Amino acid sequence: MKLVFQGLAVVILLSSHDMFLKLDKYKLESYSNVVIHLFNGTFDRSDNVITRDRMIDVSIVANGKRSSVDTTDWYEEDKTTYLNFRTDSPGTYVAGVSTKARSLGMSADSFHDYLEHDGVLDMLALRKQNGTLNDTAIERYSKHVKTIFQVGNKLTDDYSTELGYSIEFILMENPYDMHPGHDLPVKLLFNQEPLADQLVYVGSAAAHSHSHEDDRHSHDEEGDHTHDDLVQLRTDEKGLLNVPISSEGVWYLKTIHLVEIEEQGLTHESNWATVTFAVGDEGSHDHSHDHDHSGDHDHSHSEHDHEHDHSGDHEEGIPFYIWAIISVLVICVLYFVFNRQNNV
Amino acid sequence: MNQRGTILGIGILLLPLIALGHDVSGGDRALLENGGLWAYIYVGATHMLTGYDHLLFLVGVIFFLREFKEIVKFITAFTIGHSITLISATYLSFSVNEYLIDAIIGLSVLYKGFENMGLFQKWLKVNPPHLLNMVFVFGLIHGLGLSARLQSFTVDQEGILFKILCFNLGVELGQVLALIPIVYVINLWRQMSSYEPFFKATNTYLIIAGIGLTGYQLWHFFGLS
Repeated sequence: MKLVFQGLAVVILLSSHDMFLKLDKYKLESYSNVVIHLFNGTFDRSDNVITRDRMIDVSIVANGKRSSVDTTDWYEEDKTTYLNFRTDSPGTYVAGVSTKARSLGMSADSFHDYLEHDGVLDMLALRKQNGTLNDTAIERYSKHVKTIFQVGNKLTDDYSTELGYSIEFILMENPYDMHPGHDLPVKLLFNQEPLADQLVYVGSAAAHSHSHEDDRHSHDEEGDHTHDDLVQLRTDEKGLLNVPISSEGVWYLKTIHLVEIEEQGLTHESNWATVTFAVGDEGSHDHSHDHDHSGDHDHSHSEHDHEHDHSGDHEEGIPFYIWAIISVLVICVLYFVFNRQNNV
Repeated sequence: MNQRGTILGIGILLLPLIALGHDVSGGDRALLENGGLWAYIYVGATHMLTGYDHLLFLVGVIFFLREFKEIVKFITAFTIGHSITLISATYLSFSVNEYLIDAIIGLSVLYKGFENMGLFQKWLKVNPPHLLNMVFVFGLIHGLGLSARLQSFTVDQEGILFKILCFNLGVELGQVLALIPIVYVINLWRQMSSYEPFFKATNTYLIIAGIGLTGYQLWHFFGLS
């Protein structure tokens, strides 16, 4: 039984654990239908779905108003969870998901692999320092993810809305009002308080021109993707960090706050946070990913994709030709009715 | 119906089809992103040419007018009205729910058909409000609808005022292009014996279309779709 338990833990670890809220496009039109993707795995691949009972909060913030998302708007397909969502009036939107805590027992080796794999370097150093590398671990973990996207032109302050999650990134500037070459100030909160000296990894899905000295290669061991070059940053004493935005594209931040706890049946507790957003025109293009992770990463920016994604546009509610045909028929019928009345 | 009437009949039947080749689609956004100010003029014009609610309202207004001078006066009032709200609302990023504003635009179509059919006096026993004022007010409302549409595109803020003005210019060009055949057909038909049933048919249709448009937009507004 213990072997099965450990084997399961290893499989989960090798699959990676990050959770991201993502969109195909981060610049959207108002009153249009969009699909938000909830990836559980890596930034590029979802390894499993998140069932609704695990979600303790699913929120959309727009124009100063926070609304909960109906769980019936979620659906699962293959290994990804999706949320159907209709944008409202223009503004900068925030979507967030917070999951219930779960526990996972791990052997010392599995735990060690996980710390290395996911870059939880502080805990790794602590275990080395304390000589506890051979200790097993039972970890309670929960994940709290956000995505920030732009609807129409109107920039609003909603991007900095605190959702009140255990851990969350707060963007201090609107990413849709900035250009590459600038730093994006971000605050990290833990239990609504600034979290100091916390490792944060920054990645970009479209930043091919990275030149960071501190790049850290992806832990995606299958090697299916090459975009996961992460920049390692650390928050200051005020929980702040400056993210160098080097190029247009989709950007993400992720962190795992892992601490030892003294609670019956548990040894550790972790809170995971990610945030995704886009900078520049890149965010308006279709970055549709291959969810099966076949290796073909679709960065198609064609006109055809634009047409596709606007299928729910308000303007296209009634196709003009249908309107025209119906109109002509109605006028003809009415004309003959009134003409007959006249002749009578 | 004589030969002239037949030609006119075919003309009026084909009138709604003039815009088929200019359907406003999601490709507009790509056009606005990649094109210059001309793209804004083009999208503004195509939006007007394919915006059946705007066109139907104008058809209703034209029915009431006989002289060219009057047409210019009323269309100018409508143009000033929609330009005020289109430019100011877009520039100030003020927006009203698109479904709600389109529902009111639908009501303007209904209003015009209702008025043209003389139903204010017949059913409500009152005289309709002064048409020029109403056209101006409806112009303001139509401008909000046009603004909501423009704001729904992701437009770079650089030179935004020029972009709005170009979109507005496009709207005016589209309006003139649409009005030319409408005015021509209505004025020609006015001289014919079949004008009365045509007038009644078209204005009854405006009432039906106004109810349909309003109901359709409110259906979406209340999230029933």
